[in-house]
Amino acid sequence: MGGADPRQVVFAPVGNGARVDLVVRRLADAIALELLADGEQLPSEAELAGQLGVSTVTLREALVTLRNNGLVETRRGRGGGSFVRTPHTAVVAVRLEGVALQDLRDFGDHYAAISGAAAKLAAERALEAELAPLRRTIAQMEAAASAAELRRLEGRFHIEVAAASQSARLTREEVMLQADLGLLLWLPHAELDGPAVACPHRQILDAIGSGDAAGARNVAERHILEAVERLVELRLRAT
Amino acid sequence: MLIVERAQALTDEVFAAVAAVREATVRLAGGGPLRSTDLAALRPLLFERLGPLVVGLGFIALPGLLADSHWYLEWWQHDPDGGVPRQFNAELDPARPAFYDYTQWDWFAGPQAGAERSICGPYVDYLCTDEYSLTFSLPVLAGGAFVGVAAADVFVSAFERAVLPALKDLRAPAFIASAAGRVIASTSARWTSGAVYRGAPGHTSHPIGRTGLSLITAG
Repeated sequence: MGGADPRQVVFAPVGNGARVDLVVRRLADAIALELLADGEQLPSEAELAGQLGVSTVTLREALVTLRNNGLVETRRGRGGGSFVRTPHTAVVAVRLEGVALQDLRDFGDHYAAISGAAAKLAAERALEAELAPLRRTIAQMEAAASAAELRRLEGRFHIEVAAASQSARLTREEVMLQADLGLLLWLPHAELDGPAVACPHRQILDAIGSGDAAGARNVAERHILEAVERLVELRLRAT
Repeated sequence: MLIVERAQALTDEVFAAVAAVREATVRLAGGGPLRSTDLAALRPLLFERLGPLVVGLGFIALPGLLADSHWYLEWWQHDPDGGVPRQFNAELDPARPAFYDYTQWDWFAGPQAGAERSICGPYVDYLCTDEYSLTFSLPVLAGGAFVGVAAADVFVSAFERAVLPALKDLRAPAFIASAAGRVIASTSARWTSGAVYRGAPGHTSHPIGRTGLSLITAG
């Protein structure tokens, strides 16, 4: 920031770099949230660029970044193309080692603030009928067969809570935070079963359902902070 | 009251676009078994009606209706930058994690259960636009049988822009709420869009024609 006129930044043209970042973010979000499945082939560069409304040059740059982050794999020759790679636990664990402890703490604070605020507003605003998707997600958690499914359902639950808060901004923020470090958060409790994962989420839902705004904020914040605490312990053991 | 007329006219305008989609779909369904490719014939009509008010429009098929795709939406979205409309590509393979079961949403389930005109929301449309939205929908019947839903998306911000001048004319805090009590547009700082109105002392509710919406005034 030092000395530069902030207005220059505001009014600077949205350059190619910004568009590349946007495309990287969009695709990384989709992969982290498993909207794009592991092994799924992406459309051709021309087709994908068209869908996203960017030039093929921009798309190609974005794909290079995604490839470097291990989220996309490109194979040449017959049957070649770009394929989605959902990071596996081992890869995520390696990534955790590269994250500073202070950054984990900071992420936890931010994520707890967003999730807590969303749960509080949901308790104030959600109508009974709007809680149906949350109930459904918890029932699916209890019956989930794989860790991957549980991770996806947990992410979905938190997005549904954010949507129930009636705030499009909080919802977008929740999606971005999950895309940022959501996979890491899952790491310490990969061995938990469905009912164990469902439990704290049911507490959040119950508080929202009974209109207990302060309670909903508390349980949602505690849930996130406990997850981050376990992550910090894991990170400490790694070094 | 001008605001009642304005809100009625606005919902009528959106439902007119939805009804046009419904009529065109019924005509297509009259020509024998439908395939997803047949629904492409709706596109000129959809593109014509998309704009700053109706930002999403289309037909959502009852699962099993189409001969070639069990699940299908012919759903197009307005491009605010003036480009060509974009088709919404939902995940419609039930075997995939991100599968989009549209029959569970009120804008589909309501008309399927017999509701004539549904206005769903406001809700955060995190699956499609990421925006705070309203969905207007009508059942589509062919030969007396329910075959799907014609629907339109309207951003709450656009709805608010369209009714706010008339709402301000009341010269006292007032707001429009959905049938479920969710505030859509408001001149009251206490009841902003997204809040739930469950009745409050000193407030009076006036139904807005056949929209299902209400005008709530203080005093």
